[in-house]
Amino acid sequence: MLGYIIRRLISAVLVVIMTSMLVFALFFYGPSNPGQALCSGVRCTAERVEQINVALGFNDPVVDQYGTWAKGVFAGRTVDFGGAPIDCPAPCFGVSYQDRIPVTETLSERFPATLSLAIGAAFIFFPLGLLLGVLAARKRGTSIDRGLVGSSLILSSIPYYLVGLMAYLYLVIFWGVAPQPDYNPITENPWKWWTGLLLPWVVLGIWNSTAYARFSRGSMLESLGEDYVRTARAKGLTERKIVVKHALRAAIVPVLTIFGLDFAGLLAGTVFTEYIFGINGIGRTALLAINNQDFPIIAATVLIAAAFVVLANLIVDILYSVVDPRVRLT
Amino acid sequence: MALTPLEAVRSDSTPLASPDAPAAKKIAGRSPSRIAFDRLRADKVAVGCTAIVLFFILVGIFAPLICKIFGVELRETPGAEALNIFTGYALIGPPEHSFTWEAPLGLQPGTGNDLLAEWVYGARTSLEVATIATVTTTIVGVVVGLIAGFARGWLDRIISFILDLFLSFPFLLGALTLAPIIVNRYATDEGKLDRAQFFSLIFVLTFFGWMGLARLVRGEVLSLREREFVQAARIIGVPTRSILFRELLPNLVAPIVVSISLGLPAFVTAEAGLAYLGIGLTSRPSWGQTISRAIPYFQDYWLYLWAPVLGVMLLVLALNLLGDSVRDAFDPKTRR
Repeated sequence: MLGYIIRRLISAVLVVIMTSMLVFALFFYGPSNPGQALCSGVRCTAERVEQINVALGFNDPVVDQYGTWAKGVFAGRTVDFGGAPIDCPAPCFGVSYQDRIPVTETLSERFPATLSLAIGAAFIFFPLGLLLGVLAARKRGTSIDRGLVGSSLILSSIPYYLVGLMAYLYLVIFWGVAPQPDYNPITENPWKWWTGLLLPWVVLGIWNSTAYARFSRGSMLESLGEDYVRTARAKGLTERKIVVKHALRAAIVPVLTIFGLDFAGLLAGTVFTEYIFGINGIGRTALLAINNQDFPIIAATVLIAAAFVVLANLIVDILYSVVDPRVRLT
Repeated sequence: MALTPLEAVRSDSTPLASPDAPAAKKIAGRSPSRIAFDRLRADKVAVGCTAIVLFFILVGIFAPLICKIFGVELRETPGAEALNIFTGYALIGPPEHSFTWEAPLGLQPGTGNDLLAEWVYGARTSLEVATIATVTTTIVGVVVGLIAGFARGWLDRIISFILDLFLSFPFLLGALTLAPIIVNRYATDEGKLDRAQFFSLIFVLTFFGWMGLARLVRGEVLSLREREFVQAARIIGVPTRSILFRELLPNLVAPIVVSISLGLPAFVTAEAGLAYLGIGLTSRPSWGQTISRAIPYFQDYWLYLWAPVLGVMLLVLALNLLGDSVRDAFDPKTRR
């Protein structure tokens, strides 16, 4: 068991390191010109761009640049953009070209918004999907089942960004029935935090719940057909006990697995959500950074997102190997 | 008129004896693909969705002809002089005037570009990108999966690691990072911009899209390679390449077809989504682009926004439902 966890951990760390190298190589071999991005004002001659490139080491070989960056992540470093040197303490992912603030600071400031968004949506779509799935499985073959399956299929077939966009345009702007989405830290004003994120949560939650409804329906049908459910029926247990205690317990495991594996999908959902509803989270920051060619921010966001996906997969794998020992062998 | 036992048996088995008899046709061998196709034809949803998809394909193929029939043109007629200089809206058609056949969907505020032409060419772009991306991801996925599954050992381990690496790479952020880089690299002048954008879009979609099928094929091959027919082929000295493509590939038709039919809507969604975020194609019409441009006008001029939105919705919906039916047809077990 321990050996399996260690092996998985090593490969997870390796994946994250490779991702960082990949992003770095992409930018190095791409045509992005960091000197140009940094050189502000009208008097920006080719000479000045070149001076900036030399001063900040953008002309060094890619391995050296990566080394400097990677060392900064663990030991921190100072970056000098001309004026006063900017101190960038330990997990240093560089300093933003645009606002000259350490990336770690910017992202840790934006992170709560994305996290609130993702967790809030998960609190809606997971229970809702499970509930609808169980309901459909219980009423299998009836019009309720067909209606639920059909509508979930149709809703999940519409691209998420269109659902989000239409919800925003019509509910917020046209009819004004929902408040303007906005992120307020929960520590400052819990009520504003709640109302500001309510619509994004509901939209992201309902759209995502459709897939989970179908998964849990399938999983539930399987476990309702098991022998132990028949035994429970034969014992004369109440229907409620049979469904909740016997069938659902077994059915929930594969659905949880999908939840862990689909983390990348949830992240993509939050990027669109932040863009559509104008919430200042990691995704919107990354989008802005891409337009500004602000490499340190882009690299850090891609890396953080990859790390989260890897972490989610790791947790699922380890939990799964606890539940099903056969997994460890492969 | 008593029959001998032998004659009695013969008369019972006439249908089997004569291969031309109609009863014999019923039990004639049918390939799994044929069975799946028959199932699909009986599926009303699948037939309806096929009709919708066909409509879009025809619109895409005959885009220039449709534009000619309606007498509209892309980015030319009637030009900025047909716009109200105060509001930027067109002097004919919606939103300020009633419907006109001159511009059935109206003209784009600010530039006077015909929106029907843009919509029709948008369908073309959407299908073109989705089809090419599906073909490239299918080829890459099948080849990589075949090699990984058949080679096993260190090669399989390396490929599986790369697969894991790509699967943990967040698609959207990856695409957003990668696309502008490629475009900047190859778009050295205005004329090359379109091709650079198109190439980079296909590349990005392929780069992040091949893993699912590769994993599926690898799993199938791992079990298929131990089957007798593959071992027999190896013993009689069939070259590895023939084993891979002649012996194994035909057994993988079902997962490949299902993956294609579910990949198409995903790529239509991705193309429009990236264009909406401003990272996709800008040099040719794309529904995603029209959507992002139409947002500020949605209250006054709802048709501007709804035409591309409905286009994406309907096409993706039909493709998705069709894909679902295809999957059910190939594997009836999935339908409960």
